[in-house]
Amino acid sequence: MPLSQTCLHDNHVRLGAKMVDFAGWNMPIQYTSIVSEHNAVRERVGIFDVSHMGQIFVSGKDASSFLSYVTTWDVNKLSGGDCRYCHILDNEGQIIDDTIVYTFSSQDYMLVPNASMISKVFDWLNLNSSNFEVNVHNKSDEFFCLAVQGPESLRLLRQYFNLSITPFKLIESDNLIISGTGYTGEKGYEIMGPISESQRIWESFLEMGAIPVGLGARDTLRLEKGYLLSGTDFNGSQTTLESGYSWVIDWNHDFIGKEKLLAQKKAGYKSLSGILLEERGVLRPGLQVFLEGEKISELTSGSLSPILKRGIGLSYLDLPIGTTVNVSIRNKQLKGRVIQTPFL
Amino acid sequence: MSEIPDNLGYTEDHEWVGPDEGDGVKVGITDYAQDSLSDVVFVELPNVGDEYQRGEVMAVAESVKAASDIYAPISGKILAINEKLEESPELVNESPYGSGWMVLMKPSEDRSALLDSDSYKNSLD
Repeated sequence: MPLSQTCLHDNHVRLGAKMVDFAGWNMPIQYTSIVSEHNAVRERVGIFDVSHMGQIFVSGKDASSFLSYVTTWDVNKLSGGDCRYCHILDNEGQIIDDTIVYTFSSQDYMLVPNASMISKVFDWLNLNSSNFEVNVHNKSDEFFCLAVQGPESLRLLRQYFNLSITPFKLIESDNLIISGTGYTGEKGYEIMGPISESQRIWESFLEMGAIPVGLGARDTLRLEKGYLLSGTDFNGSQTTLESGYSWVIDWNHDFIGKEKLLAQKKAGYKSLSGILLEERGVLRPGLQVFLEGEKISELTSGSLSPILKRGIGLSYLDLPIGTTVNVSIRNKQLKGRVIQTPFL
Repeated sequence: MSEIPDNLGYTEDHEWVGPDEGDGVKVGITDYAQDSLSDVVFVELPNVGDEYQRGEVMAVAESVKAASDIYAPISGKILAINEKLEESPELVNESPYGSGWMVLMKPSEDRSALLDSDSYKNSLD
């Protein structure tokens, strides 16, 4: 299958980005270096093209009760202008995808699924919509999405749009949707709109000083904060409880997977935990984790934190915070400690 | 365009071997290799006294995204390692032929298997 390209593909190539295959998309992994792009977001401001992500619109009389049923959050409680991070579960309580619910009104919402999950989420919504009066539209091909992140990001928003934004709120301005959301743990926002507007905004933000940032730094930025990566930290067989994100569950409403989660809550479970390497080295997905000489799990995510300059990783464990484990790297057992994420 | 000094020997795996300095030869990775790796964040070096046959893995350079094996470009014994790389692995990016050198080796064979700068340059095209 040929790789998909975002509307800004040629801009990335012109900037000299290294392009890679990601979830079927040809995407920039870095423009200059992962570490310098990472630091630009932590210290100043970076801009990411994340137009590969999806936009699925849900509207109609039953839109809020339908979304409450198919997500872990009680969407009835959201008001116009609210954004809410939650999970979409299968009948077993396992995460199909994580998403943000954008609330335009009590009958008008948007979900932003991960690129590789767009059609799966769309099909799942349709499969479960028969008892609800709703329309579900996949408009992912019509939208660009740019994430502007970093301590200086809000200054650029004022400068360009004369707007300010609050975390987890959205504003509609002309035909753009601007939300106080992101995947870096820094102040910032995401701008979505029709692809015809993407060039103007990308170029303007670069001119204002935003540093283009690729998927490489996007991964290290999110991992330092312990954010989940779809397909890596969950791949269809882990529940929200196991992912360590029980705060995205509103237990006071009925939703697909709830019964299974209640049962799991009683029975106990492993949960995704942070591992901080105490010796020099870089953690990688798939490395084996040992406790007292016995293999107990593998890392789902792993890298080197450019800020801490230490190896960091995630793994499904049932060990108390502070436990010493070993991670096997090239047949060497390196010492690590189980820690509460975020790492930073 | 990567830098390829005339006075070094090279391998197709992008290692370089310095001129004989009397007490041995320095070994590192080329400008092309450091640029492909990008951001070297960790270097695992051999122990002093270890002996390697040409082509054996003797070190590993890790970037944020990947780990790359570094092969012995010439057979011989490790006389010293660049201990500065433990604290400052970025020297490999900043100065691959200078302060980013990796090991000092005492070769047990001649340099005839190494490429000269022109041949190495051609191997990159």
